[in-house]
Amino acid sequence: MNGKPVVMEHFSTVHTSFLLNFAFTNNITILTGVSASGKTLSFSMIRECMAVDEAVLCLNYLDCRRDIKELLRHTKGKLIVIDNADILLDEAARKYISLDGENQYLLIGRNPENLFATKENLFELVNKKVGEQTEFSIQPYL
Amino acid sequence: MITIYKDKKDIPIHMEYVEWNDLFFNKNTALKLDGRAAKIIEQIDEAKVISKFQIRSKFHETVVDVDCLSTGCKTVLNVLYFPDKVFCIKECGENALEALYRLSRGAVYSNYAMIPFDMTRVCAVFGESSREIDDYEILKEWWHHER
Repeated sequence: MNGKPVVMEHFSTVHTSFLLNFAFTNNITILTGVSASGKTLSFSMIRECMAVDEAVLCLNYLDCRRDIKELLRHTKGKLIVIDNADILLDEAARKYISLDGENQYLLIGRNPENLFATKENLFELVNKKVGEQTEFSIQPYL
Repeated sequence: MITIYKDKKDIPIHMEYVEWNDLFFNKNTALKLDGRAAKIIEQIDEAKVISKFQIRSKFHETVVDVDCLSTGCKTVLNVLYFPDKVFCIKECGENALEALYRLSRGAVYSNYAMIPFDMTRVCAVFGESSREIDDYEILKEWWHHER
């Protein structure tokens, strides 16, 4: 899926010594890469923003007993961030996401199956030091 | 050599299947960590073990609880310390898979291929048959096409 982002093109936040600066070029961003690159840390930083930003909805393994597809179907106008996506999302949820034009997705995982994804959807985390802080951003996954 | 299952039906009844590696690690494996864990933690997460429940993270070298290890690292440690259970490996990155495949024993599951480029011999189980495979392409073929 190569649709433009429908909710936001940029998301940034700060958590003590960590900065997060994500620029989205696609409506479905699959954040992949090696273990320990900071993916779940980034998820935690975004989840913290749910308290003050109504446009953000975060899901992870703690939501494994919920009907994810049904939850998505009743959600409009949000950046939906899903950690543990490789296990949490079944085939039906993936197909729904691939066709959902009312929400934007940041999926943390490695399996693009049933998302109709191309390499344009795949990104990895990069980090750099900014003074005494570490900034995370995303770049196309090679 | 680790054992790989690609169909949950093939997991023996006496072996528990664990899907959520973070949760299992935090409640079980973290309590069992010993000297064997340090090398794996350093290799995958580039972190140093500084006490039973604490590591020095590669980010800012801050000291954090072992629950901050990556899911991939936790998965490998789960397999190492609980060889009698089967763990989902879908959340392992290339670096975690390399360490996982080098373990002398343990059991894992994924219904699609999760293979490090630098792989070692594994035991692949499907249905009634099991076979040892030490070649990337052959293992990939087994995962994709042997149904």
